[in-house]
Amino acid sequence: MTAPLLEARGLRTVLGGRRRRFGASVPGVSAVDGVDLAIMRGETFGLVGESGCGKTTLGRTILGLQRETEGEVLLDGRTVSGVPPRVARRLRDSVQYVHQDPGAALDPWWSIGNTLREALAIAGVPAAEREALIDQVLDAVGIPLSMKRRYPHELSGGQLRRIGLARILILRPDVVILDEPTSGLDLSVQATVLNFFAETRARFGLTYLFISHDLAVVRLTCERVAIMYLGRVVEVGTVAAIFDNARHPYAQALLAAAPSLSMERAQDAPVFEGELPSPSEIHKGCRFRTRCPFAAPACAHTDPQLEPVAEGHHVACIRWREIPDI
Amino acid sequence: MNARADIEPLMAINDLSLSIDGTEGEVKVLDHINLRLLPGDIMGLVGESGCGKSTLVKAVLRILPKAARITTGDIVFEGRNLAAMSSRTLSSDIRARKIGFIPQDPYLALNPVFTIGAQLLEIMKWHGARPGPGSNRALARARVVDLFRKVRLPDPEAMLSRYPHQLSGGQRQRVLIAAALLCEPSLVVADEPTTALDVTTQQQILCLLRDLAEEMALSILFVTHDFGVVSELCKSVTVMYAGQTVETGTMAEVVFSPLHPYTKRLIDCHPDRLATLEGIPGIVPSLIDPPGGCRFHPRCSEGTGGCPRRAPILVTQSPGRAVNCIHFDDVPA
Repeated sequence: MTAPLLEARGLRTVLGGRRRRFGASVPGVSAVDGVDLAIMRGETFGLVGESGCGKTTLGRTILGLQRETEGEVLLDGRTVSGVPPRVARRLRDSVQYVHQDPGAALDPWWSIGNTLREALAIAGVPAAEREALIDQVLDAVGIPLSMKRRYPHELSGGQLRRIGLARILILRPDVVILDEPTSGLDLSVQATVLNFFAETRARFGLTYLFISHDLAVVRLTCERVAIMYLGRVVEVGTVAAIFDNARHPYAQALLAAAPSLSMERAQDAPVFEGELPSPSEIHKGCRFRTRCPFAAPACAHTDPQLEPVAEGHHVACIRWREIPDI
Repeated sequence: MNARADIEPLMAINDLSLSIDGTEGEVKVLDHINLRLLPGDIMGLVGESGCGKSTLVKAVLRILPKAARITTGDIVFEGRNLAAMSSRTLSSDIRARKIGFIPQDPYLALNPVFTIGAQLLEIMKWHGARPGPGSNRALARARVVDLFRKVRLPDPEAMLSRYPHQLSGGQRQRVLIAAALLCEPSLVVADEPTTALDVTTQQQILCLLRDLAEEMALSILFVTHDFGVVSELCKSVTVMYAGQTVETGTMAEVVFSPLHPYTKRLIDCHPDRLATLEGIPGIVPSLIDPPGGCRFHPRCSEGTGGCPRRAPILVTQSPGRAVNCIHFDDVPA
């Protein structure tokens, strides 16, 4: 087996929390709490979970914007963690991030051309070479060159996603973190945008970390998927393994909740009750047991670790052998 | 099937057109819309953004911008024409009392500086909904708590004194559903109420709406762009494109045997169907100067020579099933 391009080992990120000179200190929240991931070169790796499960924080930690509290990040076999964010970003310049809502991420006062020029200026590309690179990348993402003079509000949602990726591509990354890249788009536009991401990946030899809460989209675009719950990966495997043979009760519930076009209505499927508990009130044992239909007394005092179900398919549940298929 | 034709609809929208006067000219946002909502029906109103689906539900409640005006047609609800009704009568008789509204974004719809209880009690006061004989504050509170229980909010009593920021998105959407049901309306209009929510929360809300419709004999007009949600929740569907009704029918008819090329393409965009991963080429046309003939013809793959020349008419195929495509109307070419 080849070495992974991007690897996270025991990654833990604590947000907030403060030590006060007087009075009790405020404890932080472990948004990411011991995550191991290995992403292979050229694959699209899906990261799925409900809002608040820590998937965006994990993305930001891998990117280096958020400093990890524990654990390490390896890029192409090199350790690139354990340094402050400014240094981390320099070490990880081959990892880039596409924001969730490009409409909000682009400066409304800057034309598209200027936004792209700034990226190159920051990356230290000489002014003389910038224009040619911009034309090249706009051509690659299928945006007419006349758009350079346009402002973000003049572009459609689909075009904004293309610009969002264009300003990353211009920096020639290896790994691109796509954070909810199709949320808020019409299904007709979503299909076109997903196609575009797939073509661009093949053309530029990119590796994607695809963060999403939409399982149907992940099934379509990814090769492997990790399912996150309250800062932990609860199940990881190939798309086929997860969608046809999910073992973790949470993964099963998530799959059953996605609205589908199948003939038999999900009406008959059990509705998944309760809501994601606050990550500041994590209790002992399995984090999911408060909502789990299969919880047993043992779940309250064993913290489940990822264990292999099959080659490349791991699940963190002490009772996975007894859990029926969905 | 024939029974559908005989039932008196709860709401019938006949030939409704609506224009907004913009700086670049008159925008024809709705163009001869027809829709029949039967009592007890849950109808999905589906289309891409900009097709006029939100404007249509706002037209029903007449909560439209000042520049908007209804140019043709009427909205007949329980025998009264809402399109011609004065705003004062709408407020006193229809809004909230007969037709409840569930907004799209639960994070924006509640006022952050008032408690949940204060906001719901104000709605009751405003619309003069009497919780029982000799309406008083205690009874009104009891009614709100009772509704909170119905929408399955945890700890309904304590919920009254909470502020919106203390609630999760799903809980806020439940509060808004309770608010829509306060005056026991016969119709609830919901404008994409689950788009801002996670799939698991969405599933809970859809399930809740289905149960409430059953329990309280409600009809629901549910705006969405997701055919997956339609197939989970709705009994019938109306598909809109560029301000026009494109196709209407039962959920099974429209989702599993669509007739109009646009409906087919839109359903094929659902990730469950995307064997080939194809979108719909082109964009929704400008409503200031829409394409001549069929409005979908520039993006249609099944078009023929007649499409750009003749505007199709909405033709009933069977009771409750109609399609707006020249290949289905019987006007000779």
